[in-house]
Amino acid sequence: MDELTREFLIENQEGLDRMEHCLTDLEERPKDEGLIGEIFRAVHTIKGTTGFLGFKRLEHLAHAGENLLGLLRDGRLTADPPTVTGLLKLLDGLRSILKTIEADGSEGEGEDAVLIGYLEELQAPAQAPVKHPAHARASTYAASAPSVEAPPAPPPAKQGPHLAKPAEPLPASMAPAESLGETLRSRPQVSAAESTLRVDVTLLNRMMNLVGELVLTRNQVLQATSADPNMTMLSRRLDMVTADLRENVMKARMQPVSNIFSKIPRIVRDLSQALNRRVRVQVEGQDTELDKSLLEAIKDPLTHAVRNSLDHGIEPPDVRRAAGKDPEGTLKLKASQEGSHVVIEVSDDGAGINVEKVRQKAIERGLITTDRAAHLAERELLQLVFLPGFSTAAAVTNVSGRGVGMDVVRANVEKIGGKVEIDSRTGKGTTLRMRIPLTLAIIPALIVRSINQSFALPQGALSELVHIPPEEASAIEWIENAPLYRLRGKLLPLVFLDRLLMPGKEHKSVSERDNFIAVLDADGRRFGLVVDGLADPEEIVVKPLSAVLKDIGLFSGATVLGNADLALILDPGLIALKAGVSLHEEEAVNVGESETEADESKGMEFLLVEAAGRQAAVPLTDVLRIEQLPLSRIEYIGYRPVLNFEGQLLPVEDSGGVLAAAEGNPQAKIIVVVCREGNRHVGIAVSHVLDVAAGSDLFEAGTDQRTGGVTLLKSRVTGVVDLSAVAPLPASEQAPAEWSRIAETVA
Amino acid sequence: MKEMCTVRLGTSMFGVPITHILEIVGAARPQPVPLAPIFVGGLVHYRGDVLTTVSLRQLLDMPPKEGRQDLLVLESAGGIFGLLVDSVSEVLTVSSTDYEPNPSILDQRRKALFAGAYKLKDSLLVMLDPDQLDPMRLSASKVA
Repeated sequence: MDELTREFLIENQEGLDRMEHCLTDLEERPKDEGLIGEIFRAVHTIKGTTGFLGFKRLEHLAHAGENLLGLLRDGRLTADPPTVTGLLKLLDGLRSILKTIEADGSEGEGEDAVLIGYLEELQAPAQAPVKHPAHARASTYAASAPSVEAPPAPPPAKQGPHLAKPAEPLPASMAPAESLGETLRSRPQVSAAESTLRVDVTLLNRMMNLVGELVLTRNQVLQATSADPNMTMLSRRLDMVTADLRENVMKARMQPVSNIFSKIPRIVRDLSQALNRRVRVQVEGQDTELDKSLLEAIKDPLTHAVRNSLDHGIEPPDVRRAAGKDPEGTLKLKASQEGSHVVIEVSDDGAGINVEKVRQKAIERGLITTDRAAHLAERELLQLVFLPGFSTAAAVTNVSGRGVGMDVVRANVEKIGGKVEIDSRTGKGTTLRMRIPLTLAIIPALIVRSINQSFALPQGALSELVHIPPEEASAIEWIENAPLYRLRGKLLPLVFLDRLLMPGKEHKSVSERDNFIAVLDADGRRFGLVVDGLADPEEIVVKPLSAVLKDIGLFSGATVLGNADLALILDPGLIALKAGVSLHEEEAVNVGESETEADESKGMEFLLVEAAGRQAAVPLTDVLRIEQLPLSRIEYIGYRPVLNFEGQLLPVEDSGGVLAAAEGNPQAKIIVVVCREGNRHVGIAVSHVLDVAAGSDLFEAGTDQRTGGVTLLKSRVTGVVDLSAVAPLPASEQAPAEWSRIAETVA
Repeated sequence: MKEMCTVRLGTSMFGVPITHILEIVGAARPQPVPLAPIFVGGLVHYRGDVLTTVSLRQLLDMPPKEGRQDLLVLESAGGIFGLLVDSVSEVLTVSSTDYEPNPSILDQRRKALFAGAYKLKDSLLVMLDPDQLDPMRLSASKVA
């Protein structure tokens, strides 16, 4: 297809979309001149350009529409529902011809006489159909199409991305200044039209790929130059610029959800007419943005959810009245951003989901046993609607579609990494909630080692890391062959990655090697993944895996690491499923656990750590997390060691001399216990995290004085780390000169 | 007259029409994928994408071999993938007069993967069909 036709199609499809939006608004505000004008322009544009391209069907249809719209515009006809329906039919007709042109390059052999006749009939109430010459119309309405008198001149093909249409004054027609202003003002959606560019999506995708490659190369450069002091400044700058570029390219692909929300009013209008419902649509958060491809992916689920609401949710007006509700139901579309996700909600104030019926249907369909069904709570019963093969409609209506169930909605949303849940209250209504991740292809991950390979573990699911050296292997408990770890009183099921990946082979037992547990939380399944080693966290570019490898059911993609090795990306959710980790919360273990503890008073709980041969205790309530890092991560302000977590500085207390002991070996693993002290965080460098235990108070002999700073842990006197003694970092009130002097001495 | 790229596997020579070949990469080091189907040779990084490779040795049930492997980057109807072979040799021009279809004695698997052979001066060049070597196709047909 040539450039001209392609642009013709794009422009007019957009115009028709706007027209559709205006038409649904027009029903609410039949006298709104701005809306009528907008609709008129869309049809006029089509008519104008068709002559040049020779699309006769379009020309005739558009002409008939223009006549009708002319009467509306002149106030000789009102936009009552039958007229709006007629215009919607016109819209559909025009759209379908455009679609045929797109597919076959020509208009096809359809017959429009009926539609044209209908449109002409609608004109009857006004006197005679008024036939103004096209020119006169143009002069009043500064038509934005380069049509009418001047030969339609779409921007030259070489220009590539061409300007979106603001109302450009035509060369020939003399648009008076005010009507031009009016035109601009009355355009509902084209706010930033003048400052935007239309860009081919393929081009943007290519840019995304290139940025991905840049991120990988940056990672490699960072790794290769980490030792060279001269390169660090440059590497850091490269890092910043890459991160910035990536953010901006991703932003370029973002579109407001109004792009998909805007189609809904029309659907609702058509459906409510077909089903005898009265529904008003409320939209919130239209400006929330989402990556274009993700928007595309949820278009269908959204439509289906809306159809469901109207078909099965909102009751007919008389039923509602009888129930004391407003006969007009409300369908609410809401989009909001929550952290790294966008949440899209479709809610109605209809009858809600009949949970009993769901239970019955599920049993009937053999999706669940009667026994099991009896044990399910209401919340869990609701989730049954997502099972394939489920539908409570007595007759599968044409409207909701045959065989397109909530399971397809869920599958589509999960395909893009999202989640869907449903909430319902009988008599009050139903809400469908879709959570879509914002970021696409680049995620922060922790690199772990197992079976002599590196794997990437997405940080999103990772909550903490625990190191169990061989001598502490007993910390891993076995209950009927299932490995468990007691994490702060709760039992954590463990999954050994090496055994999962190479089931037949013999693997070293826990007492023969270093064990690292990555505590993961994947949709309510909490477990610890045991790996052989940890490497640095990295921002990785997710590369898709072929379906053959995806079918293995453990990996969600692959990536190229900073050291140029390939690594598979582990999927915590899939691992949990494969390893059989259940959804239920792990059982909390009663305090007063081990029998060796003599008198277990209700002491405070402490984290027992070891630093340079001596044991110390940190109050557990103050412990936020345990970090495992290479020594190279420790930076210095003057002589104070600190850790930098994305711009947040953590002073590291090293009275145990752990950092000094590891000096000279940048790869040495340092364990830092991150604690809360007042309203700041501090880190304590330790050699090992030993255990969690309850401590008891100690008293000075002969007195009733409680001795401060110590506690009795596991029958040993153990010093309690005084977090408040960790000196605060210099505050920013310090003179900049002195600050930079300190920084310079370090660099 | 067609041009075929010859590859070696042990003592056998196989041919792949050059029209399907995107690139020849020497000394490939595929990253193994745990629990992958037997015919998967591993993953390789190719021009920004991560490719799945098929090991011809594993596919034809031949014993594993240590040492260097060459990689053919192929494009089939299903997409781009890699084929791991012992080594890639020269490009030969063959004529249709030398073509022989698959003999009936071939087993099922070889019948599906081979697309006949060309008689060379003192050997046989067995033709491979790239579309049949595509990992998706292999997985679907459960040939391997």
